[in-house]
Amino acid sequence: MEIKFGLISSDSHGQLGRDAYVSRMSKAQWGERIPHVIEVCDDKYKFPVERWVVNGEIQGSNVCNCPTAMPNRSYYPQRWEEVPPEVYEPGQRLKALDRDRIDAEVLFPNGPGGTFFYDDADFELACVRAYNDALAEFRQVSDRFIPLAAIPFMSPMKTIVAEVERAVSTGHLGINMLGDPSVGLKGLKNLGDPSWAPLWSVCQELGIGVHMHASAGLAGKLSLPQWQGYSHRQSHCVSTLRNFCTATQFVPFLIFSGLLERYPRLNWVFAETGLGWVSSVLEACDFEWDKRHLWTEGIRTRPSDQFRRQIYVDFWFETVGIQLRDYIGVDNILWESDFPHITSTYPRSWDAVEHSLAGVSSADREKVLYRNAARLYRLV
Amino acid sequence: MELNHGLISADDHVQEHPRVWTDRMSKSKWGDRLPHIERAADGRDCWVVDGQPMPLTGVAWSNAANSDRAQEPTRWEDVSPMVYSAPERLRALDMDGIDYSILYPNVSGVAGEVFGKLADAGLELACVQAYNDWLIDEWAGVSSRFVPQCIVPIWPMEQTVAEIRRAVAKGHKGVIYPASPMELRKVPHINDSAYDPLWAVCQDLDVPLCFHAGASPKIQMRPTDGFAPPVAAAFSSVVRSVSSIAVLANFLISRVLQRFPTLKVVFAESSLGWGAYEIEYADYQSAADGLPGEGYPLKPSELFHRQCYFTCWYDRMSLRARHYLGTANILWSSNFPMANSTWPNTRQHTALSLVDLPEAEKRQIQWENAAKLYSL
Repeated sequence: MEIKFGLISSDSHGQLGRDAYVSRMSKAQWGERIPHVIEVCDDKYKFPVERWVVNGEIQGSNVCNCPTAMPNRSYYPQRWEEVPPEVYEPGQRLKALDRDRIDAEVLFPNGPGGTFFYDDADFELACVRAYNDALAEFRQVSDRFIPLAAIPFMSPMKTIVAEVERAVSTGHLGINMLGDPSVGLKGLKNLGDPSWAPLWSVCQELGIGVHMHASAGLAGKLSLPQWQGYSHRQSHCVSTLRNFCTATQFVPFLIFSGLLERYPRLNWVFAETGLGWVSSVLEACDFEWDKRHLWTEGIRTRPSDQFRRQIYVDFWFETVGIQLRDYIGVDNILWESDFPHITSTYPRSWDAVEHSLAGVSSADREKVLYRNAARLYRLV
Repeated sequence: MELNHGLISADDHVQEHPRVWTDRMSKSKWGDRLPHIERAADGRDCWVVDGQPMPLTGVAWSNAANSDRAQEPTRWEDVSPMVYSAPERLRALDMDGIDYSILYPNVSGVAGEVFGKLADAGLELACVQAYNDWLIDEWAGVSSRFVPQCIVPIWPMEQTVAEIRRAVAKGHKGVIYPASPMELRKVPHINDSAYDPLWAVCQDLDVPLCFHAGASPKIQMRPTDGFAPPVAAAFSSVVRSVSSIAVLANFLISRVLQRFPTLKVVFAESSLGWGAYEIEYADYQSAADGLPGEGYPLKPSELFHRQCYFTCWYDRMSLRARHYLGTANILWSSNFPMANSTWPNTRQHTALSLVDLPEAEKRQIQWENAAKLYSL
């Protein structure tokens, strides 16, 4: 693809259209369980609102998480007709990219689309396939979209591997992973379990990265019980602020479990986690590795070298991690806009870029703004 | 205060010896419920309180003083006196070039959380008081280079406050409290106003309140099957520090710092880099969430700079980000005698870590900040 602006967002959220699942899943087989948008009553609103419903369960407190695409940035659409087509229609979405002067964007889900845990592996698989097919259409419209495939966690491993291969053949350039599936659903194994090996192998062979987004479903477990006395805004701030605790613990897990050593060409991408914490985590891992002679325990490569070989981290508002970039690894840093979520830099992403990168050399700027992402996703 | 080396360790641990509680608690009242060591049939020693084994893998947390750091001693006679005897510890401090040592517990839990779990508040208080008295009698009484910090009964608050007043009157210079008491037993959430007397008494007595990382095992990922013991220990050590991320996120927004503006709070065994990031993030996110409109006159970073402290020991590159935390908010430590301690090479480690800093900032981090915080 052509790099016109010199900026790639490595974490944005692609909304599927309201008929994305209905038009792809068998009505005869799944009926009303198919993810679709329905009208419901909500005491907070005087008008009938709309919500996604999956397997009969109403999702969330809005119909689309896209406040930064709205005229009033704090408003979450309550009816589908309020949702700007720039959020869910690939051709229109290109206009939003142009407006923000961004060349390409990686597409994480915008609910429903993360997990489909409803105690039914066949239903999950059908939803995952529909999601992956619908998101792949973004890339079929333009190679400026970089879709990430969902995984049918509850299926047998050979089905998971087959779905990854199928998704990649339709244009997906990575998979979206939970930090610890065993936390999300009984019966699933944590990622250190050898049963996941075929998935790591296929991703390594296909040259696609494993992605974790923010808390990756794990931060709630790694946190204090939330204070019930918080307002909605306070609660959102605290839980958002702590989300990066998943990455700070999962990166050491990747290093000390030997996963990175066993799959040295497999890349791991941590989106919406920031950068500054990497310095303390790598210093701690290196310190322990030195002190305990862990190369004699099968951890052959120095932890910080493992990190620089195959882990990527994203930033958006930050200056601290940029100051520490030489130690983190200037080749391992990606930029993100998080469009269309509340924290997004859209539509003034370049202002955020200049704030973060003041005084940074043009070679380093180019790397973190687009060259690293272009290399990771083999875009050019 | 007398400085010979120009280094204060703001996070060290005493090892409680077998007579700490047996000498100080009534045998007739508590019988075998008081903390003591039992020898199992296989020859291993185990600490027991109230009929339950205490959560130590060995009999002491003293790895830095062992010939093999990866091994925790399983028999008391194998534990180095440097970890439990004050006169011996003075030699360890001299060997490492450390002037003053701020003390946290081991057997009692790094934040006193072991006794906080006891269902019997009377037994909890007796155990806590014995520890606090021992620390004055056998440590602070031996040398002013030992800076004692009290543990406290976590609840009820009247008992907590009374013990803080008693301990500080006896010479304790800091108060250790678990950051998540509501996970120990059925007590209110740490943000509840029921804890106001705790913040108030620390503020009034001008003693720092210290949250030590690792007191909430639930917020740390556990090593899974397949981790060799030294690798598992390394992993746990790394995630222990960063587990305070969730604690800091809550504390910065909880308004405690706002409501108690001269209260000082130490996040012990924190390390630096993640904190520098979290403080910048907190300013950004709280503004994005509109919190200034909900009665937060100060930014999280301003509250932190005014009232909070981080400790570090291996940090080097993260010191480049020290201004986010505030050079006045960073305390050095050796973390003796934990396995991840820099002892006995703390001087060399510290010199390497601080090599690029101006002399005035070095002094702040090596001793001035701690001397001021603990009124030495």
